[in-house]
Amino acid sequence: MPRTDWSRCMTVRCFLGLAIASLYVFSDGGAVTDFGAKIPKEFGGWEASANDKTFNRQTLYDYMDGGAEVYLAFDFREVFSRKYGGPGGRDLTLDIYDMGSPEEAFGAFSCDREDPSAGIGQESEYGPGLLRFWQGRYFVTIMASSDDETAAAAILELGRKAAKSLGPPGAKPDLVAFLPTESLRPDRTSYFHSVVNLNNRFFVSSENILRLDRLTQCVFAEYGPEGAEPSCLLLIRYPDAGKAGSARQSFLASYLPNAGPEGLGQTEDKKWAAASVRNNYLTVVFEALSPEAARRLAASVKFPEK
Amino acid sequence: MNHPLTRRDFLKGASAAVVGSSLIFGQDKGISKKARVVLIRHSEVLDENSKVNPDILQGMLDEAVMTLLDEKDPVRAFRKLVKPGETVGIKTNVWSYLPTPPELEAAIKRRLVDAGVAAERIGLDDHTVRTNPLFISATSLINVRPLRTHYLAGMSGCIKNYIMFAESQPDYHPDSCADLGALFKLPQVQGKTRLNVLCALTPQFHGRGPHHFSRRYVWSYKGLIVGQDPVAVDTIGLRLTMAKRREVLGRAQELPPVPKHIQLADTRHGIGTSDINAIELVKLGWTEDILI
Repeated sequence: MPRTDWSRCMTVRCFLGLAIASLYVFSDGGAVTDFGAKIPKEFGGWEASANDKTFNRQTLYDYMDGGAEVYLAFDFREVFSRKYGGPGGRDLTLDIYDMGSPEEAFGAFSCDREDPSAGIGQESEYGPGLLRFWQGRYFVTIMASSDDETAAAAILELGRKAAKSLGPPGAKPDLVAFLPTESLRPDRTSYFHSVVNLNNRFFVSSENILRLDRLTQCVFAEYGPEGAEPSCLLLIRYPDAGKAGSARQSFLASYLPNAGPEGLGQTEDKKWAAASVRNNYLTVVFEALSPEAARRLAASVKFPEK
Repeated sequence: MNHPLTRRDFLKGASAAVVGSSLIFGQDKGISKKARVVLIRHSEVLDENSKVNPDILQGMLDEAVMTLLDEKDPVRAFRKLVKPGETVGIKTNVWSYLPTPPELEAAIKRRLVDAGVAAERIGLDDHTVRTNPLFISATSLINVRPLRTHYLAGMSGCIKNYIMFAESQPDYHPDSCADLGALFKLPQVQGKTRLNVLCALTPQFHGRGPHHFSRRYVWSYKGLIVGQDPVAVDTIGLRLTMAKRREVLGRAQELPPVPKHIQLADTRHGIGTSDINAIELVKLGWTEDILI
């Protein structure tokens, strides 16, 4: 999709939430090149081991061949990257991604969450060797090749220092607020645009049967008590109702050919899936325990009045 | 157009049957081919710190290539692959978190020299193979890299290892890197690959976004997967990856999304076989937790 179309889409959304947008969307932490001076090059026995690097939409392939598309599917602008060397030959890599808006930064953060919060930035997670968090329009990762206590302490210290440079917090995508809140697992909600993210979050199909692209906005959420197999809700906003309707048809043909007119069908695990359209929104329920539960979850989506 | 693979295939428990059976990823398969792949493991090739024992690794490589080519001597086996006077490129992988072990590169190079290839005519490279004079003039290639998952392509194996031969790497990224098999038809590559070695000493079975590595998601499998057919080698590598993911992550996450390039390398590009029924898998050595 051309950048201009993307910008137009974002602008429309910003006007819809003008009060919030004025506070958050246009807030900034500065250009990513500024982080070179804002974030210390030395701390606690660690020091920058190479020149800082930045990559933009055109050069991101030079940094992560084969992975750039994952960020380019969002409104990624630039990434600041710095490597640190530490005790015993350990190393850290700090990457700060300017995702263009808080919504997109939340999206990049939300797709691969697995670990407990580290209390850094707006939301974070830390597991051995990896800290991920978001703040404002920035998504940050700090990764170490070793996962011992020395590396862990350095990762968390650097994360706290970096977070101070990122400016004020920002708002999550408005689509997140459409989700039913009863039994929602809050740390398991993801926001994205592309089928790559969907399939890494929750594998649906080897083909793009939901017809996702950079113009589609998706939230994926899990429901149910901890420890139990969750039911899942995928809510997709398409540019228009026609695209939502054809995506539903495509999904039902490939995934739920046994569904009736209601778009509800049982799957091999004795659970239920359902797909329904309202205006330009497609709601898909996976792994509901009963047809009633699938209907109830889909009907609980808090769509806007218009 | 065949029916795409969906989550429901995994719920049926049919994934192992459909992945590698030519029933998915949108192409019908033509003539089946027979390809031998050797999986060799040794319990002591790594110590408790994952340090490689080079002698054991050399022995594993030798035994695998001998078995692959029905030879009783490793030098004679390598002479079936390369001839004295040739220029040979060893396409390795230098990804900093999980590179091809230098001990494995050295083991390959040693046998090439033993087979009569002059040391100065052996290239070892990754990112600059397109401009490396030894790779430009190479008449044979040896393809070696570690086995790991990949956020976009599902799996990084021997097929994906040739991405550095592409003039434009992003050209190969659409649709989950579906057409990586076409790399083997590039003029610098076509018809030159003599051996594929997928290093499964410490494979990575999961990742958290592109560019990610964590020791949580690698395990000491202590194996090599060796063959002349890169598609068959990767098919076995995918089966191993799926088996580990099923064990650790559960059935719903068994398939790393979405390694369609392996099957399409066969059915669309015809550079090898992904049909598990057309692959002769020979297992040698240590069998504990072999998974496949």
